[in-house]
Amino acid sequence: MDLNKFSFYFLFSVLLISPAGAFPLQEKPGEEKKQLSLYAADNEKNCLICHGKLVYTITDTVSGVTMKRMMSEQNVINPEIFYKSVHWSFNCLDCHAEGFKSFPHPLEARFESGWNCLDCHGNDPNYAQYKFEEIDAEYRRSIHYTATEGLFTCWDCHDAHYYNPLARQDSSSRDQIFKLNEMCLRCHGNPDIMGMISDKGLDKVLPKHEWLPNVERHLQAVRCLDCHTRMTDSVLVAQEIVPADSAVKNCTDCHNKNSILMGTLYKYASKENRDEKGFVNGVIFNNDSYVIGANHSKFITLTGKIIIGMTLAFALMHIIFRMIIRPIKRYNE
Amino acid sequence: MSKNFYHYPVWVRLWHVMNAILCLFLIVTGFSMLYSNPDNGLVVGFKRAVSIHNVSGILLTVSYTLFLFGNLFTSNGRHYLLAMKGAGKRLWQQGYYYVYGYFKGQKAPYPVDGEHKFNPLQQVSYVGVMYLILPMLFVTGWAMMFPEFILKKFLRFSGIFLTDQFHVILGFLVVIFLFIHLYVSTMGKSPLSNFRSIITGWQESH
Repeated sequence: MDLNKFSFYFLFSVLLISPAGAFPLQEKPGEEKKQLSLYAADNEKNCLICHGKLVYTITDTVSGVTMKRMMSEQNVINPEIFYKSVHWSFNCLDCHAEGFKSFPHPLEARFESGWNCLDCHGNDPNYAQYKFEEIDAEYRRSIHYTATEGLFTCWDCHDAHYYNPLARQDSSSRDQIFKLNEMCLRCHGNPDIMGMISDKGLDKVLPKHEWLPNVERHLQAVRCLDCHTRMTDSVLVAQEIVPADSAVKNCTDCHNKNSILMGTLYKYASKENRDEKGFVNGVIFNNDSYVIGANHSKFITLTGKIIIGMTLAFALMHIIFRMIIRPIKRYNE
Repeated sequence: MSKNFYHYPVWVRLWHVMNAILCLFLIVTGFSMLYSNPDNGLVVGFKRAVSIHNVSGILLTVSYTLFLFGNLFTSNGRHYLLAMKGAGKRLWQQGYYYVYGYFKGQKAPYPVDGEHKFNPLQQVSYVGVMYLILPMLFVTGWAMMFPEFILKKFLRFSGIFLTDQFHVILGFLVVIFLFIHLYVSTMGKSPLSNFRSIITGWQESH
């Protein structure tokens, strides 16, 4: 059985067996989720006892000596955030190597080949709306994939332990922009991490944006993705990160009625409105995606006015002539 | 002596009045959406204009569909069939009559009779509006309610921007048509006779 099929049947059976499958996930507070989580008790007893906090305790089974140690930060999973993520119902060993069952963990377990998003979500009609296949295709064209020969994976930006789509969170667009940009700056703002994935080291992010007027305002109000991806209409959040020299650099690409950004924002706002409020309330009666003056082209409206004016002037002249000849016509009749 | 012809059956008159009301709503709200700003709502405030425009557009699509079916399945459709042979000559004659012959007291070259309720110029403009401009207005209008189907870019332009501008241009054409339509309607047997005929159904020849 190939991996995709296996993942599908596995996920399907998990959903069937799990009591969580019977409840809508969005409505449960974190504590309840913990109770519902498949193997939650085992999680607590096993992995998260050590990996759920920065400090863990180990006991020497021979001497009985107990001591406290610091857990490496990248191996800590914050249970509070994990149980609020979309993957909250999974047991650690559903995704991680069986070898991690034993302690101390054997070295070969650390070389586990991790799952990627498509292993579970690919070609599955249940997830069709999220377009994972298109996201994957965009990712494979992105500089993240081509420059790292595929070593860079989904997890490097979207931590599976904490994944919670921003679009589903009830936060302001400024917050969402901040969180999205934080995702990029986690690496592009950290020389150590960049040093790990690139021999060139880190080009400082801020100086590279100094050509922008009001650089800080731009960085607060615009997502990195808005300039550094190739936008398409089919995927909600663009994934095709382009090389730095292909990024948007013309002011008019955004600040213009004919801009890609304007089109993308209109499409996004309109679709979000429709998905959230339905066609009648979201599109017909409360369509916030229209912007005053957005469709106001001076040339077209001026030409329209002139032609309408000429039509009315012609009609007026015709009326005047009709009034002049009316008595003559009557006389002839 | 003028003759009367029953050219406007009940369904045509009902459709016409509905079409007229909806077009008026669309034009007024369309102008409001185009020219209003936060301080000046024109006739209708921006937000309300958007809602009324959307509702009217959807209702107009429905009424247009009924009109299409009516033309397909009743004899009314024959008035919208263009005969291409000699069309140029007929259009010229009718245009000449409106601009010159009318004032010279000449007889209308293509008067209303049992077979014809439109003269050649009316026929071409009605066919153009009903079978070309309105369908394109519907397509562009609906596309803006489902913008994900709009091309991202066409040539060097944003698809949304082009769709939007095309919708506005078509809207202007409908406004121009409406003015001409209303004015030409005053050129019947008497200034009000054509308005009476769209109410009673009976058209007077002149």
